[in-house]
Amino acid sequence: MSTGSVEVIYRGIFQKTLAKNICRGIVFAARKEGKIGIAFGRYGDSPERNGIPAKQFAVVSNTEDELQEYLSRYEPNNNDVTISCDDTLCKGVESWAWYGLQPINKLLAKNGTLLVVSTQSANKLIKIIHRKGAPYKLATVKAAASFSGLWVYKDDHTDVRLLGALAKVAPHIVSIDSILSAIKDQWKNDKKVASAKKAYDDASTSPVGAEQGSEEIPFSFDLPGWTKMEEGLVIRGQKSEQKNVAGWEGGYVPGRNETFKKFSTRTMRPAINFDTCTKCTLCWLNCPDTCFDISPDGFYDANMQACCGCGVCEAVCPVEDCITMVNEEAFEDNNSQWEMWRKDKKKYAVWLTEKISNKPARSHGFHHVGQYAEEIANES
Amino acid sequence: MVANVETLDDFLKTQVLDPWKGPKKVPAAEYFTSGHRTCQGCESAQLMKLMAKAGGPRSIILGSTGCMYVANTTYYSTPWAVPWMHTQLGSSGSAATGTVAALRAMMRKGKMKKEPINVIAVCGDGGGADMGLSAISAALQHTHYNLLILLYDNESYANTDIQVSGSSPYGANSTFSTPGKVKRIMNKRWKKNTAAMLAAGHPDVRYVSTVCTAYPVDAMNSVRRALTIGGPTFVHSLDPCPKGWDYDPKFSHELGELAVETGIWPLYEVEEGQLRMIGRSKRIVEGQFKRKPVREYLRRQGRFAHFIDEDIEYFQKKIDDMWEKWLIPGVIPFAGKLNP
Repeated sequence: MSTGSVEVIYRGIFQKTLAKNICRGIVFAARKEGKIGIAFGRYGDSPERNGIPAKQFAVVSNTEDELQEYLSRYEPNNNDVTISCDDTLCKGVESWAWYGLQPINKLLAKNGTLLVVSTQSANKLIKIIHRKGAPYKLATVKAAASFSGLWVYKDDHTDVRLLGALAKVAPHIVSIDSILSAIKDQWKNDKKVASAKKAYDDASTSPVGAEQGSEEIPFSFDLPGWTKMEEGLVIRGQKSEQKNVAGWEGGYVPGRNETFKKFSTRTMRPAINFDTCTKCTLCWLNCPDTCFDISPDGFYDANMQACCGCGVCEAVCPVEDCITMVNEEAFEDNNSQWEMWRKDKKKYAVWLTEKISNKPARSHGFHHVGQYAEEIANES
Repeated sequence: MVANVETLDDFLKTQVLDPWKGPKKVPAAEYFTSGHRTCQGCESAQLMKLMAKAGGPRSIILGSTGCMYVANTTYYSTPWAVPWMHTQLGSSGSAATGTVAALRAMMRKGKMKKEPINVIAVCGDGGGADMGLSAISAALQHTHYNLLILLYDNESYANTDIQVSGSSPYGANSTFSTPGKVKRIMNKRWKKNTAAMLAAGHPDVRYVSTVCTAYPVDAMNSVRRALTIGGPTFVHSLDPCPKGWDYDPKFSHELGELAVETGIWPLYEVEEGQLRMIGRSKRIVEGQFKRKPVREYLRRQGRFAHFIDEDIEYFQKKIDDMWEKWLIPGVIPFAGKLNP
């Protein structure tokens, strides 16, 4: 094995610094062993957007020639390790750039390791990860996904913990000794070194069979080849007429862009209590993603293909407990909540109560000065 | 000479777009739909949605380079349901005048049906308030063309990952004004006063206004007024940007409100030479609403996380000056007396 590569999949902007720290850490550690490496972000992900999945890579080789040869490909597609910085990405990754929805393990090599930051068990994660068709290994680092922003970094040691775990699952890329030494150089912080060592000691992998995992077929679409592209860079627009959807006659379902759905951007989703809804229109009017469909009886139903989970609807809703943002990991599908409610209101009420219990809000970034320090103090 | 006086009058007609009285009167049809690659909680996307709704189906949108170009049309994929065309960073004004002139020529030659079509050129604060200012000024001089320049201001070059622009507020962090150990405040200038500058500088322009997406119905009605009054018009919108301002996207709406309530972003319109403050800003001027301390606004954004009390006090004093010392509060930034 002369060249090893690590793919880091993360939430754009929220985890940009985190991903950078991981990839740089790998390269610095490789240098300690006399190897050569490079860390880079995928071109198609730039400019990054809040929440939209993005990728960075770290490639390590014994010699510069081998590294150059490996980098001549567009995107490392046979990675020894894929790191997922947020477990909701296990539902699929729809990048900024026009790929449709891709399974999280798509670019992972056979028998490679998928390393996920999650508080969930490996067994639960396997259920939502698309089946790969080849065996691989799954490892988790027990933590809530670490989110911060462009300017203020939440230094909760997720970066060094992932580096420590990486050394355990792929010692042929970097050894734990070089990782620890690189962390000491970079951060000059013994606590970070200790966190990495502990993650190394705790890390364990479980095998995943070729046929294990979710059977969902990720949505995709036909790409026009260059012969089909129109002169003058013409893109066909969306239809402004409403879509005809059975059961929605008399309501309004807007035409939607079918080649970019944005739902994998989401880490939370609104759960709507239609019994308390006053039809005030504010969620619909203030949604930047035009995600609300209008039902025939005048309710506003968040369309889960279009919702990116920003939480503005919850913020503007004037009713106390009508819209609640719920952790995305509590949901298995993207079905319409209004349809479910209309079919069986009692059952829906039970369902809603159960979902809302998954409220532990994920951190979505900066709220106020000093917040990250408070959070870290509470977590440890 | 093909055109006669009668047909020229036809060209000066606009669509009839009456203001909407409240959110429940807003129609369901969407012309900027879902499936754009903007950030979670992107208020500029929200503005595009509102603008497209306000303009309706017979509109042409021109977009200069910026977030609302790159996020909405790249990779053969778009949420637009009305015609849209990209134009260069500094040329939203030229694109608007050119499009109006072209439509007029096509109609005069009988190549398309004679009807009023809304022409809206959209630019960011980089493309509009910085690079495209001269082209916008030129467009606003074409008083016989009906067009709207809509500036969506997220206070930085947000598309290319947040470089400082002329509209960036004092002291804000950006990749060009990163605070350091020696110098904490790198962007020392006060935000450019674009709407008032254009209103004051182009006395023939019949409508200039500032809006904020936190007040969606007002924003749409401003766009509708701008599209129907005739001649070139300008609307400047402040759009909170979760990426560049560094805050949890769920606060997008709230921060827009706070910008108005703290007095950083005055809402006003200049119609036929008459200035009117709108909404909260009107109540601030009339003394019915006390401006909130700007600290509330600043402490909630990562771009101001390096501020110490001294900086916040300075910021507050500058805002106090806007409302207490400026010749016209929040609009004309000179001290002085009208009748000395």
